[in-house]
Amino acid sequence: MKKGYWAGAVLLLGFLALGLTTFSRSMTPYVGFDEARKAGRTVQVMGGLEKSSTHYDQATKTLHFTLVDPKTKAILPVAYSDVKPANFEDAVSIVAIGKWQGEELRAEKLLVKCPSKYQGQETEKAYGGGAKS
Amino acid sequence: MSSLSIGYAPGTLAIWFALLSGAATCLVYYRALGLAPAGGAEPSAGYAEAIGFGRRLYAAFALSIVLASVLLMKALLSHDFRLSYVTSYSGRDLPTSFLLSTFWAGQEGSFLLWVFFGALIGFAVYLSAREQEAPVMIVYVLSFLGIVAILAKQPPFRFLAELPADGQGLNPLLQDYWMVIHPPVMFAGFASLSVPFAFALAALWQRRWDGWVVRAMPWALFTLVTLGTAILMGGYWAYKTLGWGGYWAWDPVENTSLVPWLATVALVHGMFLQKTREKHRKINLILAIVAYCCILYGTFLTRSGVLADFSVHSFVDLGITGWLVAIIVGALAIGFGMLAWRWREIPVDPDAAADAEEPFLSRSVLFILAVTLLSASAVVILLGTSSPLITRVTGKPAQVATSFYNITHTPLAAVMALLLAFVPFVSWKGETWGSIGKKAATSSAIGLLAGVVALLAGIRSAKDVMILTFCGAGLAANLETTILFVRRKAIRTMGGYLSHVGVAIMLAGILVSGVYERKEQVTLPKDTPVMVGRHEMTFRRTVLVNDDGVVKLPGELDPAQLADIRAKQAMEVEVKSPGGKVWKAYPKMYVNQRTNQMMANPDVQSTPLLDIYVSPQSYDPGQPAKSEGTVLHLKKGETKLAEGTLVKFLSFDVDMSQMDAGAKVVAVTANFEVGPAGAARPVSPKLIVRLGGGGDQVAEPAPVPGSKASLRMRKASASEGIAEVEVLGLSAAGDTKPATPETFSVDVTTKPLISLVWAGFYILTAGGILAMVRRARDAHRSALV
Repeated sequence: MKKGYWAGAVLLLGFLALGLTTFSRSMTPYVGFDEARKAGRTVQVMGGLEKSSTHYDQATKTLHFTLVDPKTKAILPVAYSDVKPANFEDAVSIVAIGKWQGEELRAEKLLVKCPSKYQGQETEKAYGGGAKS
Repeated sequence: MSSLSIGYAPGTLAIWFALLSGAATCLVYYRALGLAPAGGAEPSAGYAEAIGFGRRLYAAFALSIVLASVLLMKALLSHDFRLSYVTSYSGRDLPTSFLLSTFWAGQEGSFLLWVFFGALIGFAVYLSAREQEAPVMIVYVLSFLGIVAILAKQPPFRFLAELPADGQGLNPLLQDYWMVIHPPVMFAGFASLSVPFAFALAALWQRRWDGWVVRAMPWALFTLVTLGTAILMGGYWAYKTLGWGGYWAWDPVENTSLVPWLATVALVHGMFLQKTREKHRKINLILAIVAYCCILYGTFLTRSGVLADFSVHSFVDLGITGWLVAIIVGALAIGFGMLAWRWREIPVDPDAAADAEEPFLSRSVLFILAVTLLSASAVVILLGTSSPLITRVTGKPAQVATSFYNITHTPLAAVMALLLAFVPFVSWKGETWGSIGKKAATSSAIGLLAGVVALLAGIRSAKDVMILTFCGAGLAANLETTILFVRRKAIRTMGGYLSHVGVAIMLAGILVSGVYERKEQVTLPKDTPVMVGRHEMTFRRTVLVNDDGVVKLPGELDPAQLADIRAKQAMEVEVKSPGGKVWKAYPKMYVNQRTNQMMANPDVQSTPLLDIYVSPQSYDPGQPAKSEGTVLHLKKGETKLAEGTLVKFLSFDVDMSQMDAGAKVVAVTANFEVGPAGAARPVSPKLIVRLGGGGDQVAEPAPVPGSKASLRMRKASASEGIAEVEVLGLSAAGDTKPATPETFSVDVTTKPLISLVWAGFYILTAGGILAMVRRARDAHRSALV
């Protein structure tokens, strides 16, 4: 029986060790556009979609677009070759996870934030109230 | 409109009443606790009376929650746009089924739905708690009061100052039948997590070290079934209609429901062990407390806005973050505080001598390993999901890549599958390697066969072949045992083995469909077959698919039918399999009228061996061949360059004297100078506009003297003095642009054996339900003290 506990403990420690080492290795930090260009590793950036910067390249099957930093107005070109997320064009902001490669950020994953998430508050702004019940 | 904002909505009053009656329920049950009969004695009249009063107060609590829910639903169904919540999440363009789902489209409504299920489940809880009713109900009601308090602070019954004519509508992504069914099942599962928590704390409080397990076990199985079903439904929804490319993305929202589920699965195993061996009490108490705290923590992660930058579907902060933190801290403090308080009193080993003799290769050990693995999985996922919070402490918040979960869970899955293959052959008494080997001969052979099949199918990764071998053996071993139980007419007790059959199938499906999916992006010109892998795909036409899934052409729509009004544009793509079977796929691509969002839904052809997943990427209607020069917009006196030639716009001459077939005609002559300064030549193209008749216009181009070029007017605005003119014949390549074909670009993904994920899950759930029924029966029959 005691051996059972030991086996469990060894397994648990093994997985936790694997978890922790993988954890630090697969971390993708949130960075600004300048840092994303220099980082040399997979990072996350967030920005607004620059209107009419979207361009789909049929030959390479890649979506190219430009992100704009809402504060500094800096821009960052992004390329993405996976399935385009629904309502990409209407995104309030886009999070791109990827690595800088020469002239653009090659994104592996996009997270799209849509205006609908802010629905509730907008309604009360538009029609007044939220007047206590 | 001032009358709108006066007074409290009945729904808000109901919530406040629930808060008060909930608190009163706890107090009365606490009073009953003091009158509880001591060990086996007949309950006193005072105790029975106090319990009866407690139940009536609980009914008042639960019915006020139900009333609030009914009022919100009524407001939504009757389009009562005075309410901010109704305006924010619903609209007149929704069919009834989607109107129902607007109830839980927002934060307040989904909190209410959670408490609603809690209120209903509570009636069954006090009946099933029996001798433990008073302490269990106190903790149970308390576990919901925090959320009721949030609802009282932020009720979904807030009025607007003005009455809008229509609501903002439901987020088009949520307009789906899965949205009607998935959240209720999910919140029923969330609510049921309070039950094992309540029993565990009551056990600590009343020192009922084993009785609580008997009573709470069917509830833990209920959570396992409901929460598991909800998680899978969410995955299926993401896969089939949302077009996220798969059923699982390791998104925080998904993870935060998976972690309590894993903790509950561990708890079920631990409870089984405790029931049979009467030990390992501490681990079950910890798991029950942790599972409930995890659901609160998950709610905090996804609703406080802390993960707003890291999740596809996390909510923004509603101003309740502080409340959520307080509730979590409270639950942790009470839970672990009570554990610490009673820790030394919890009997560890009633029979130390017997324990020492328990052999290594016994079922106890396998159960301990199962609990360990499931807990390790939960901890690792929790760690990954919390990464933005953990890293925030030391610097910039960062998130782990999804590869983190895949890397850590591959060995976990391998060991789990291996354990599954052993479980049926290892008795409590213990085995030798030889005796296991003898019993597992058949299933091991089947496992090896599965490995060979995997190799033949082209799987070359040793790791994958190994896991599939284990899955095969696990499936065979548990199936063998299940069949044995059926033969012995012991169907009621085979739930565990049946679940394991499902798990082995699911693991194989998850592995193969995930690792061996193939993705390809193709552009399909209209009516031109394109080979995609081994399938021939042909884009035929654009059609409309209505809400009932009927394919129609624009002329066939019935404007009297809401389903037809809501019809969506889809592309008809013929998919021909290598066997010659033809299937028509209808991936949808349409613009949501209300939000102007471009929406895309994939279409999937499912066969037992392979799913073909067609996801729209872009649609180009194509253009006929046309002659087009350089278009210039010029103000009076302005000069612009067209292909190296200067064009200056001078003035308009407007002639309104002409009539044509009774309609008034305006002839506009635009005067230009074309060519370098000094050598410019005047050119005067005309534009003749018929007034009244829809504004038809005819352009009369004018040649540029001494060249092949000519000018053609496209638009004239005499009042603003702006001319839009096309310069033709300047380009050496000619002005004719070739026709572009109508094309449809799609992502085509093939996912082998994804059907095993669903099939395995059905079997797992069937096993869970069998076990739940059995344990409920056990609990009902056992009189405990």
